[in-house]
Amino acid sequence: MIVSNSKTHQQPGQAAATAPEAQLADAWRVVVLNDPVNLMSYVVMVFKKVFGFDEPRARQHMLEVHERGRSTVWTGKREQAEAYVFTLQQWHLTAVLESDEKH
Amino acid sequence: MKSIEVRLNLEVVAPLLDLIKAAADGLKEELAITAVVPDSDADFADGWRQELLQDQTGDIQVLLRVFGREFFANGIIALDASNSEAVLRACSAVRLRLKSGLLQRMEDEVLESGEVPVQKLTEDEHKAFACYVFLATLQELIIEHLDPSGRGV
Repeated sequence: MIVSNSKTHQQPGQAAATAPEAQLADAWRVVVLNDPVNLMSYVVMVFKKVFGFDEPRARQHMLEVHERGRSTVWTGKREQAEAYVFTLQQWHLTAVLESDEKH
Repeated sequence: MKSIEVRLNLEVVAPLLDLIKAAADGLKEELAITAVVPDSDADFADGWRQELLQDQTGDIQVLLRVFGREFFANGIIALDASNSEAVLRACSAVRLRLKSGLLQRMEDEVLESGEVPVQKLTEDEHKAFACYVFLATLQELIIEHLDPSGRGV
C-alpha cells in the first residue's frame, strides 16, 4: 500500500504547530471527478467499499459526480486523504487531493 | 465462498479477447487514468505511479486468467471473492483504454448515454464497442451477484 510510501509532511522540528497550522493540517479534501467510462453502479460500489458508505450516501456522491462533475467524498488529515486518493486511483476513479486553502 | 459461473458464447467472446489482450499490453507501461499525484516531489510521484501500475498489471493478469483453458473448453468463466475485485478493476482499466484508443472518436456524452450510433462505427470501432459493452456487463454481473462492497444493497 502507498500508505507505507506516503510522506509525512510534518518534520520533527515542526511538532509544535500553531493552532491555525494544526487546523490546516486537517483540512484536506478527497475529490472525485466525473469520467464518461466508469459505470454508475461501479462508482457506488467503490464508494461503499472504500469509505464504508451506505447505499443512499454512496449514490448521492455518485450522482453529484455525474451531475456536477465532482464530489468531495472525504475531508480530514492529509496523510489519510492521500491514502484514499491512491485507493480510488487503484479503482481507476479520477480522484484528487485539495486543500481548503484554495477556497 | 459465494461464486458464480457464467456461460458465454465462445464464438462471440473469443474474438473480443484479442482486443482485451492488446489493451492489456498497452496497460503494462501506462496507467488507464491520468493519476494526479498529490505531491510535487518527483521520487514520490514516481513511486506512486509505479505502485499503481504494478497493481493494474496484477489485476489484468487475473482478468486474463479468468478467460483461460476452461473458458476455451466450455465457454464458462468462474468468479468469486478471490478474483472479483481484480476483475472489476481490470475491466475498468481496459474500458478506459478502449475509450482513449479505438473509441476516442466517440464523444463522452454519447458514450455515457449508451445511445451509440452503431451503424456509423467502423469495423474496428464496432468490435471495440462490443468489447467495451461486454466488460461493463461483466462488471454489472459481479456487482449484482457478488457485492464486493460487502455492504449489501
